Amino acid sequence: MTGPETLLPLVVLAPLGMAALLATIAHWLPSRMADVLAILTALGIMLLCGWLAGQATGGPIVHWFGGWTPDAAHRPGVILGIAFVADPASAALAAFCALLFAASFLFAWGYFDEVHSHFHILMLLFLAAMEGFCLTHDLFNLFVWFELMSVAAFALTAYPLGQSSLEGAFSFTVTNSFASFMMLMGIGLLYAGTGTLDFTAIGQAMARHGPDPVILGGFCLIAAALLTKAAILPFHFWLSDAHAVAPTPVSVIFSGVMVGLGLFALTKLGGQSFGAGEGAMAPVRALLLWLGVATAVVGGLMTWGQRHLKRLLAFSTVSHLGIMLLAVSALKPLGAAALLLYLVGQGLVKAALFMVAGILLALRASADEIALYREGRGLWPAGVVMILGGLILGGLPIGLLHGGGHLIHAAVPSRVAEGAIILSTALTGAAVLRAGLRIFPGWSGVPGVERGAPTEREHEKADRPLWLMVLPGALLLVLVLAPSSAAFPFLAAAAPRLLDPWAAGIATLPEEGGTLASGATFAATLALVAMSLLRRRPTGRLARLAAWGERLPFRALEAAHSGVVSDYVTWMTAGLALLAVAAASWR
Amino acid sequence: MTSLPWLAALPWLAAAWLFAIGVYGVVTSRHYVHLIGCLSVCQSSTYMLLLGVGFRRGAGPPIFYDHPPGTPAVDPVMQALVLTDIVVGAAVTALLLVIALQVHKRCGLVDPQRLRPLRGPK
Repeated sequence: MTGPETLLPLVVLAPLGMAALLATIAHWLPSRMADVLAILTALGIMLLCGWLAGQATGGPIVHWFGGWTPDAAHRPGVILGIAFVADPASAALAAFCALLFAASFLFAWGYFDEVHSHFHILMLLFLAAMEGFCLTHDLFNLFVWFELMSVAAFALTAYPLGQSSLEGAFSFTVTNSFASFMMLMGIGLLYAGTGTLDFTAIGQAMARHGPDPVILGGFCLIAAALLTKAAILPFHFWLSDAHAVAPTPVSVIFSGVMVGLGLFALTKLGGQSFGAGEGAMAPVRALLLWLGVATAVVGGLMTWGQRHLKRLLAFSTVSHLGIMLLAVSALKPLGAAALLLYLVGQGLVKAALFMVAGILLALRASADEIALYREGRGLWPAGVVMILGGLILGGLPIGLLHGGGHLIHAAVPSRVAEGAIILSTALTGAAVLRAGLRIFPGWSGVPGVERGAPTEREHEKADRPLWLMVLPGALLLVLVLAPSSAAFPFLAAAAPRLLDPWAAGIATLPEEGGTLASGATFAATLALVAMSLLRRRPTGRLARLAAWGERLPFRALEAAHSGVVSDYVTWMTAGLALLAVAAASWR
Repeated sequence: MTSLPWLAALPWLAAAWLFAIGVYGVVTSRHYVHLIGCLSVCQSSTYMLLLGVGFRRGAGPPIFYDHPPGTPAVDPVMQALVLTDIVVGAAVTALLLVIALQVHKRCGLVDPQRLRPLRGPK
């Protein structure tokens, strides 16, 4: 076994070990020691994963646990062991998870003092689960990490024990438990159909048997579970509740990377296990494309109609997940590269923006953009981060996010997809800019559709200096402004290996060059912001009628996001039925 | 036994039935504890399905302590899956019950239909 192969399990063992250690000795440590140890663990894993990603460009790094390699059973074709397979893309995403955790730990410095180190222990478990989820090559192992990730996330959401967070955590837990039941049933059906749980071996069995109904049923159930985690319409309802009420350092992780992992796993499984029937997947891929379009547009509209900052950002995440699903639906190396770049870009921006919301909650005791009118003066560094973040979300033509959007457009050359990308980018960017301008310099028109949106009086603990809270967000924004062409050589090598780890090959990525009407997107964002700045109170009869007509669709959408968990489960069942219909037309 | 093909389908039908009534219960529930119970019913449908997948007619338990290797046995992989799922399910149920208890303590509500994480402005 080579060095990288031996070190691979450390990616999961280190956070698990540190969590266990903190649980044992944290009571005797000085109060800031848990913070320091957690940050160092996350940074160490980031470096290790980054190194592994570099090593893996020549071929995947494989670790069979306990030495149970496929040959160990002495029965050809029977795989008893469980493997971690680090292809470059998976290792890079694992490094990105660790980076966001390090930033979140820094932001949360001292935030959770009164509960000792329980926060750090849960977060480290959460980190371990994400790393395992990225690296595993076994379907059941994937389920175990999925569950560990969910349980840690449930507990972290309910953590403030306020009424909102408890209720948000409740619907989060119920909906995501349904997702895990569906996943487990899907795994059972796939095992019944193929007799194995290894990703590649499932793919080989698929190629032998062709798609039979049991395997198709399994695929539908697993896809529904991953789409629930990834908050794709109509599985997305839990997200806005959970992300809006979780403590800010936790929301950073949720929106930054957790939801994106669902799409990542879908791409990986789609390529490695279901890639055999490339043409046969057509109806499912068409459905995913349309779900992506719908999610992007509905998420964008909901973002524009919010006043509670964290809920606003949560819906912008929904919208971006829709855009990323477009890349997944392509199921080719270019789409995989686009997904990776966009995932990292939006994760960095979203983490920084959630931190600004956290700063306002701590120092100004509110996250309501209308209540916070002009309250942000004196917090100008946070204002700079927020407005810059809004510009990047709204299609500022530099940086990783823009590069990702460009690649998605190149991977999905359809007019509908292009329209959805432009519309949702403009809506989400303009909503963040509107809130930022209203809160920090105090530039604002009369509140429009956002006035009737749900909100809450709440605050978070203010016990740390402003610079310490702004620093991690500002660093993340600097990263996202890096030129995306710098990442292209790595992406070109990593993307084909995500769909098949053992296939050497270099994807050709189109150069930046105005295929997506990037100027138009940015102009649309600025036009929307200008519209909200110039809005005056409607006085005439016609103006009032127009304002009422404008509010109507937003009210209808808001009513669908009722917060009632039984509605959410009904929507999920409908989504599952939709997937089943698409898969049944798979010939 | 081969004359009763529907007997082979019984675990699958039972799993589908359990899942369906579980979902129905969750969707119509008016009490937290009832809802959590319905969720557990849903979960038991996964146990049923997995055990049905792993079952082999005429095979014994996958324990080779007192009979030689090579004796027909049911599939141990599926049993391991079920065992893991039971553990996770217990953790999730406990967490949900704690959340329900805390919600009841804070606002006296036990009706999930009145659950609203964020409310409209006053």
